[in-house]
Amino acid sequence: MTVALENTTTTIHGDRVSLLRVLGPAHVWALGVGIVLVGEFTGWNFSADKGGALAALIVCWIVGLLYTSVAMIDSEVTSTVAAAGGQYAQAKHIVGPLMAFNVALFLVFAYTMLEVSDAILLGDTIVAKAGVEGLTHNSFIAATIVVLAWLNYRGVLMTLNVNFVITAIAYVSIVILFFSVSPWTQGAVLKLNELVTPGNALPYGWIGVIAAFQFGIWYYLGIEGTTQAAEEVRSPARSLPYGTMAGMITLLIAAAMTWYVCASLMPWEYLGITYYPLWDAGKLTGSPLLENLLFVATLLAALASANGCINDAARAWFSLGRDRYLPSWFSAVHPKYRTPYRSILFLLPIALAFAFIADLNQAITFSILSGVLQYTFMSINIMMFRKKWPLGSIRRGYTHPFHPLPAIVLFCLCVVTFFAIFLGFGSQLIAMTIFYFLISVWFHFYRYKFVRRGDQFTMPWPKPQGY
Amino acid sequence: MWVALSYACWGISIVLALWMLYDWFKVDTNYSEDVLTSSREGELEAASEKHRI
Amino acid sequence: MPRYTPPEQSKAGQVFDIAVVVVAIFVALWLPLKMGLAGAAKSIDALDAKTWEALGQNPTMASIWEKLGYTPETAHDIIQNRFHYIIDWPTLIIMAAVLIGYFVFLFRASDREYRDVIKEKFDDK
Repeated sequence: MTVALENTTTTIHGDRVSLLRVLGPAHVWALGVGIVLVGEFTGWNFSADKGGALAALIVCWIVGLLYTSVAMIDSEVTSTVAAAGGQYAQAKHIVGPLMAFNVALFLVFAYTMLEVSDAILLGDTIVAKAGVEGLTHNSFIAATIVVLAWLNYRGVLMTLNVNFVITAIAYVSIVILFFSVSPWTQGAVLKLNELVTPGNALPYGWIGVIAAFQFGIWYYLGIEGTTQAAEEVRSPARSLPYGTMAGMITLLIAAAMTWYVCASLMPWEYLGITYYPLWDAGKLTGSPLLENLLFVATLLAALASANGCINDAARAWFSLGRDRYLPSWFSAVHPKYRTPYRSILFLLPIALAFAFIADLNQAITFSILSGVLQYTFMSINIMMFRKKWPLGSIRRGYTHPFHPLPAIVLFCLCVVTFFAIFLGFGSQLIAMTIFYFLISVWFHFYRYKFVRRGDQFTMPWPKPQGY
Repeated sequence: MWVALSYACWGISIVLALWMLYDWFKVDTNYSEDVLTSSREGELEAASEKHRI
Repeated sequence: MPRYTPPEQSKAGQVFDIAVVVVAIFVALWLPLKMGLAGAAKSIDALDAKTWEALGQNPTMASIWEKLGYTPETAHDIIQNRFHYIIDWPTLIIMAAVLIGYFVFLFRASDREYRDVIKEKFDDK
């Protein structure tokens, strides 16, 4: 089916090539959940290390609230500003060019580092499974990154069809694990009340809960990536809110199931340091079938995530080129496959380099830092959006309820998360912010002179209020 | 078996990377830069109307 | 206001700009690691008695550790490796100042650029 679709639309109309509009809501779901689901297979559990098993559950809920706000806000803005680059195009139309440049860099960093984490996880998982002396993860990392880049190069429809299938399998495996440990009876397989006791539930007290926010982000990081598909979705105003919200609901369910099973099977000290909480949970049930299922699911989740990340990072980089924020060379679209092929190729060696030299924890932290900077922007962005174009002044595909409550909640939670990052990676946060500041100075005073002014504003909207 | 798999992974990576480089070279020499970079943000709506799926 | 026409950038200039960005990315991500700034203060609170009870593990926990292939001796370094959350006020204040300063610059400079964009887009028709 997919092949036929691709063949019918490979002709170039006139002398213009553009990205292909071929995706539906299921692809949006696959892109969003595909990127995030790996977080249930590794990453979220480090929040148990930071604050104990109960802290992991508390942040699962509170960060869930943060991301529900993100999904709601994002759905409203992106169903209106439907362009590749997602939050980048939003920032460009609502806040201004320099903000847009920064947001695009947040996106590229967050996704490329997430891709790196996924590849390292996949390599390490295979090495752990093989148990062969001298076997290193490098070949598996290289294959992951190159094969997925190739898939992305060859077309977005096939890329996201593949993502849909592997994400669904990984998700179903969590559900199977959940129901096969008889979750309704404690004591048989699950021993929550013996593993999480009043004495060890919060070993560091409430400061541990706040510190746990840093990795609690990992339960959901990347769901906002659905917006990158805006130029390739058949009806963005409908599909993007629908796919994003469905994705968020799916993830909330998966996060709750994952915590419940893992916290009922492992002491928090072990849960906090393992790289494979769900695979370990499979092992601890004693069933070889479950163990192998969760091993495969861990690999698939990592693949799906890396795949979505390549897709998203390339779209953001491509948009930067298209507006000449970076050399326009990057804005080339492949005439046959209709993908931003130069951006995909450019980011490939960068991802490879980091995958070979960084370790999993570092890569995850880089990704989280850029993510939180971006969420801070989003909370302010939606306020400005509603002020410059009040309800009724333009057509919105979706209007989120309770404004400005979600924006305020999001902003407060971002502040808490910055504090949590300070408790673990404060110097890194300072270094990264200084980097963004310096590159902003470079952009504002030098690079921006190559950008056409009025052409950046592409939406058919009236003049914003107050200008 | 795992070691063999590891070598297979290197092989696949190299082949696909070379193919992408070849295709990149081919596209860049066969099409003009103006055509390749002709995508514009707002014009997508109009372009997508032409090929309904 | 006349329409702003950007200068054409030479090939070499484009390549140079890409190089600047790539180098900046690597420096930003690598400097903190090279300077050993990454990572939270985690250290082992060593215990003399290496038994499951001394490590605060009840029989259920102990059985799971054993299932995972640990003995009290090997689990000791994992269980007793604890965070020591200390709020270092000077660093916190620097961090807050850097973040706030960054965002303030971002929004102000963006607004200045944005006004030009809006002017050219809506006023020059």
